[in-house]
Amino acid sequence: MKNYLLNGIYGLLGFIVISAFAFKIFQPIQVLPRMQLSPAFNLIDQNNERLTSEDLRGQFVIFNFTYTNCPAPCYNMNATIQEVQSRLDEIELGDIKVSFVTISFDPDRDTAPVLQTYVDSINADTERWSFATTPNKDLLKTIIGSGFETYYEDKGDGTFAFDPTFVLVDGWGIVRAEYRYSTEVSLADRILRHLGVLADEVRNSTGSAKLAYEAAHLFLCYAP
Amino acid sequence: MKIKVFISVFVLITGLASGVYFFRPHVFHGTVIQSPEQAFDFTLTDVNGDVSLSDYRGKLVLIYFGYTFCPDICPATLANVAQALRTMDTKADDVQLIMISLDPERDTPKKLAEYVAHFHPSFIGITGSKEQLDETASLYGIFYEKTEGAVNTGYMIDHTATLLVIDREGYLKLVFPFGVTAAEIADDLKYMLRQ
Repeated sequence: MKNYLLNGIYGLLGFIVISAFAFKIFQPIQVLPRMQLSPAFNLIDQNNERLTSEDLRGQFVIFNFTYTNCPAPCYNMNATIQEVQSRLDEIELGDIKVSFVTISFDPDRDTAPVLQTYVDSINADTERWSFATTPNKDLLKTIIGSGFETYYEDKGDGTFAFDPTFVLVDGWGIVRAEYRYSTEVSLADRILRHLGVLADEVRNSTGSAKLAYEAAHLFLCYAP
Repeated sequence: MKIKVFISVFVLITGLASGVYFFRPHVFHGTVIQSPEQAFDFTLTDVNGDVSLSDYRGKLVLIYFGYTFCPDICPATLANVAQALRTMDTKADDVQLIMISLDPERDTPKKLAEYVAHFHPSFIGITGSKEQLDETASLYGIFYEKTEGAVNTGYMIDHTATLLVIDREGYLKLVFPFGVTAAEIADDLKYMLRQ
């Protein structure tokens, strides 16, 4: 009798340990980390209208940071965004809107009319892609530098040194992924995969399934 | 033999059910943030002088951005936190609420101190210059702007109404949406204090 009780307990402990390892190794559910809060902002877009962080609540947003005088191809950032936009139908987003916001760190030159001219020159889809900045340079540094943790520096000769970065923010204003420039892996592929993972979580993480998703966060089951 | 197999299976199933129940991950009522970096360490002013987030390492710190003229959501949130702390008895000593006023023109440190004391004696109210508040609010994801109010109330301030929880090591851990109840706040804080 005692042996059977012990066997039951050992079996139970073994099952729990194996289950935990299996969850970690096979990762039946993958998620994106909730890395930090996205900074709040109040910018002016290419239409000379304000664009705030609150306006983007409820949407997935891909941010990037550049300036319109960046010599082409400027790390192919626009091409990456346009590729992601053209392939959005490859993932199941449901009702979730995906927006793109390019923030200029050169507000002296990138006024609203200049941004509009730039939008026209690259044939940007302004239904889902905004270009914006703010003349308050200190705040801009706070938003891009401290908030989005992206380096940029005015070289004083009309050019900027900067880290070409994309940041994915979810509908709650939480940073879920950062993409530093890479020539080896298609950023568009990775961004699209992550948008799909995020959409799955929004769609499925309800009721008892929420526990499984929280376990995936707990076990760091992050999508590559 | 059969009865022994039955006992083993019974122990296994009962233990499994108990294990799932007791070891299930705590489901937070707010959104959990897994930030690899400590939260922005602001320094603002209360009635006694400078207050920094890092002054409260070792405690859970709840940060709420608002203002004393706020007609509804600020007092509702502060009242919920106060009620949550009252249900936590002595554990509440390890929790510090800091209200950051986004209205430094009207909210002097003295006025803020009087305002927050109405809710709970441990609450602290701080504010600073517009530049300091712009930076701090932005880095905590808090959008705010002045809007016109009724003639008798003067201007209003629209602001993001989330309640933020910084853990004992200074990392942003939890974001409560507006509307979270006192019981839900207490439940998550008690869990975090047990960690």
